[in-house]
Amino acid sequence: MQSPVKIWRNQKKITTLLGKTGRIISWTIVRTPPAQFMDQAPYGVVLVELEDGMRLTAQLVDWQPKQLKIGQRVTTVVRRVTQPNADGVIPYGIKVKPI
Amino acid sequence: MNVSIIGAATTKFGELWAVSPRMLAREAVHGAMVDAGTEAREIQALFVGNMLSGILGGQEHLGAFFAEELGLTVPAFKIEGACASGGLALHNAVCSVLSGQYKTVIALGVEKMTDHRPEDVATALMGAGSEEERLAGATFPGLYALLSRVHMETYGTRPQDLAAVSVKNHYHASLNPNAQFRRLITIEQVLGSTKIADPLTLLDCSPISDGAAAVVITSGQSPKKSVSIVASTVATDTLGLAQRKSLTELRATKDAASRAYKMASVEAKDIDIAEVHDCFSIAEILALEDLGFYAKGKAAPAVSRNEVTIGKSKRLVVNPSGGLKGCGHPVGATGIKQIVELVEQLRGIAGDRQVKGAKIGLAQNVGGSGATAVVHIVCKAR
Repeated sequence: MQSPVKIWRNQKKITTLLGKTGRIISWTIVRTPPAQFMDQAPYGVVLVELEDGMRLTAQLVDWQPKQLKIGQRVTTVVRRVTQPNADGVIPYGIKVKPI
Repeated sequence: MNVSIIGAATTKFGELWAVSPRMLAREAVHGAMVDAGTEAREIQALFVGNMLSGILGGQEHLGAFFAEELGLTVPAFKIEGACASGGLALHNAVCSVLSGQYKTVIALGVEKMTDHRPEDVATALMGAGSEEERLAGATFPGLYALLSRVHMETYGTRPQDLAAVSVKNHYHASLNPNAQFRRLITIEQVLGSTKIADPLTLLDCSPISDGAAAVVITSGQSPKKSVSIVASTVATDTLGLAQRKSLTELRATKDAASRAYKMASVEAKDIDIAEVHDCFSIAEILALEDLGFYAKGKAAPAVSRNEVTIGKSKRLVVNPSGGLKGCGHPVGATGIKQIVELVEQLRGIAGDRQVKGAKIGLAQNVGGSGATAVVHIVCKAR
């Protein structure tokens, strides 16, 4: 997940997903995180259906409890995924936030 | 299909800190071979189901690793398919016998999980999902929580109905001397336990476990106490949840089941006992629907009404071993343990948890959030 080469390769995909909008079709709050997400828990994870019909699983950011519901509109944003790895490369990825 | 299970055994499942993977495998295989009355020289191949030995323990090459431990110098294979590794190992063992290449082989499932921190086990298990899910920090409880939410929204499934799965499986486990959790729990305890990934609580989730299980299978004539494998099927779906057409079913389960029923010339209503993959409470509900035992939305209320509980069921009993929730879930071992349970039930030697008159059993083993499903149907030798 944290190989600098892989992070670099993934950048191209990120740009194609930015600025899209859609709706939450399912949600959860992860309270028992994997090791590299321990500093972020608890955090929201949602399944989103974008307006072009594509679906994705992503972390929810900048949310209020009342926005954690099926049908909530969201937009895709770029955010840091985890803390930088030993090489100092910061992994960025797509997350979604309510609008 | 002319394949018989002639020997079957499991170790105890649980937090077995004093026991190594080698010891687990040796105990399970030795048990199965003694049960079969088979000598080591009769074994022609070894199929090992395991998921995490590489990422957690640094040990790959498990075919050779366990063959050495067992004193076998036969063709040996590691089969990996996340939590369906055990079922996949048996499927490959069955196919190898059907091909005529080997006559008598062993399928072994083994996993050692409790040596490691829960956060590291959670990370390792996420190898079963998609890259997108890993980047989202979506743990396996998280993915099944997403499925739970959709099921609740679509069918009005209630948290207390999900909780009833765990309560039943702990009851069954209390009757199983090899189970990890032999204590009864209540609906209130499930609902009130620590939230892991909303709406799933700690007691909706199967545990992290150590354990091993093994079966000896053979082609052709076999002793009277043997059990016949009448269907062995595998189906595959997308790795990630987001790429699935439906979130209210596991298509791989439906696909594997429909082919298995056809192969065995039986229907869902003919099944007396089922060992299904209840890694989370919602997973047993999905399994009961996708295997054709209940219509969509009808399984959860049925479990709540004790329709599939030992001693109360009039038809089908589900997870008499205690399932993954009660018996424990050493991921690579689970698919083989399910088969061992069915064998003991069909032979009538399951003790306190014996389902009277059981003749046909089904096992459903799932990898990831439903990307892999394995179905076996077994019956008393005829």
